[in-house]
Amino acid sequence: MSKRVLCKFFAHGACLKGDHCEFSHDWKAPPNNICTFYQKGVCAYGSRCRYDHIKVSRLVVQVFSQLFLLSFQLLVDLSILLVDQHGMKNLGILICQMNDDVGELRSVNPADLPICSFAAAGNCPHGEKCPRIHGDLCPTCGKHCLHPFRPQEREEHVKTCEKMQRNLEALKHSQEIECSVCLERVLSKSAPAERKFGILSECDHPFCISCIRNWRSSSPASGMDVNSALRACPICRKLSYFVIPSVIWYCSKEEKQEILDSYKAKLRSIDCKHFDFGNGTCPFGTSCFYKHAYRDGRLEEVVIRHLGAEDGNTVIAKNIRLSDFLSNLQIR
Amino acid sequence: MVDFARVQKELQECNRDFEVSGIKVVPKSDASLAHLLGTITGPLGTPYEGGTFKIDITLPDGYPFEPPKMRFATKVWHPNISSQSGAICLDILKDQWSPALTLKTALLSVQALLSAPEPDDPQDAVVAQQYLRDYPTFMGTARYWTEAFARTSSLGVEEKVQKLVEMGFPDALVRSTLESVEGDENMALEKLCSG
Repeated sequence: MSKRVLCKFFAHGACLKGDHCEFSHDWKAPPNNICTFYQKGVCAYGSRCRYDHIKVSRLVVQVFSQLFLLSFQLLVDLSILLVDQHGMKNLGILICQMNDDVGELRSVNPADLPICSFAAAGNCPHGEKCPRIHGDLCPTCGKHCLHPFRPQEREEHVKTCEKMQRNLEALKHSQEIECSVCLERVLSKSAPAERKFGILSECDHPFCISCIRNWRSSSPASGMDVNSALRACPICRKLSYFVIPSVIWYCSKEEKQEILDSYKAKLRSIDCKHFDFGNGTCPFGTSCFYKHAYRDGRLEEVVIRHLGAEDGNTVIAKNIRLSDFLSNLQIR
Repeated sequence: MVDFARVQKELQECNRDFEVSGIKVVPKSDASLAHLLGTITGPLGTPYEGGTFKIDITLPDGYPFEPPKMRFATKVWHPNISSQSGAICLDILKDQWSPALTLKTALLSVQALLSAPEPDDPQDAVVAQQYLRDYPTFMGTARYWTEAFARTSSLGVEEKVQKLVEMGFPDALVRSTLESVEGDENMALEKLCSG
């Protein structure tokens, strides 16, 4: 139906859609030159506006649309009546405008109507008289942004809203948590880069990322064993093999798992610098968190070689290099 | 670089409940927080009961990622503490240190060491031998050392002055010396004898 309205972009010689444009590229088609701001109430340009300032009351359109359903002929007759009111210039526009609205109203599906964005943002200046549908109140965010006729959208909004609320609460709760090493509140540290938790994989003691990384990487020269002391939690001494950075502290096991999963997923999307698209070797091998992919996007194929150990058990063979044997070789 | 913000916090925290724990840490000088003086009371039911022990604390650059260096400044008769140098043999001050430990918890561990000697892993072999072979003598010596070196607070300033004056030192010198060592009569005596 809109094919019959002249494309505004075409009129200015700048429509990029060409033949696929949903508006008409025929100069004979009536132009839609009605100012939408004026129709909604106020146009800032006033009399200087380049668009036509015509009021098409919704009521009139609705009356017309109903009549249209009864008889198109009658509509045309009435349109001719309108010609007297608005002048010849707007006849085509009005018919098209009406036809558009009729198309909308004929399917009278309220789910297709957008809700009032003013009300959704918090306050609608039109109040009760607003021509648009006002959404239902979301109990979580306190805004009228739930579409009454789109259950899927409602559900999605409520879900994301609740998730955000949970995040906000977790963040609030995280503000109080102190690092047991520097004895400061992690999220109130002076350096912004340090305002992050370092979550240990095996226990639930909170530290700031810089303290726990500092401890785990401190030189073993001080007589402390890497595996028994440095990799252990400073509080409970449970061994953890990695630290997960996070800006919020978790309250439940599921939340910790969620943080861990998203961290691992993020790392998996980053190419491993040791693997270097197959040019290098990664010391972490198959347990590396980063992506092991070749330049053509092919993922590394993991080949695990099993060997019979001396005691009869099966062990997984590590990569063996020729240089391992050569280093022990005595050259005479 | 020592994390002085943490040290400052530790000192406040530690000195808040001195009445309960009997543990106190003060900076040796106003200039630096890297040299501290800790004080612990001898645990009840041990030969160290009634004594107040002073511990020299030096914070290494890596503190709290490296253990603080602690040494008894007060002479003490204990298998795991050197009777000569005051060196302490305690795992958490060496390879079992953790940055979650604080000066207070470390001093509490030292206090616990006083109640539970480990003669099989000695610092002072002579004391450990005596502990294992002649326990009553060990108890007697430990109690005597506590009386002689760790008992300072029982006497008032005037009594200390009187005691030292009786030994033949001039009154004014005794007073100034006592003041310089914060009223520790043993240290004052040492200073008076050496100077």
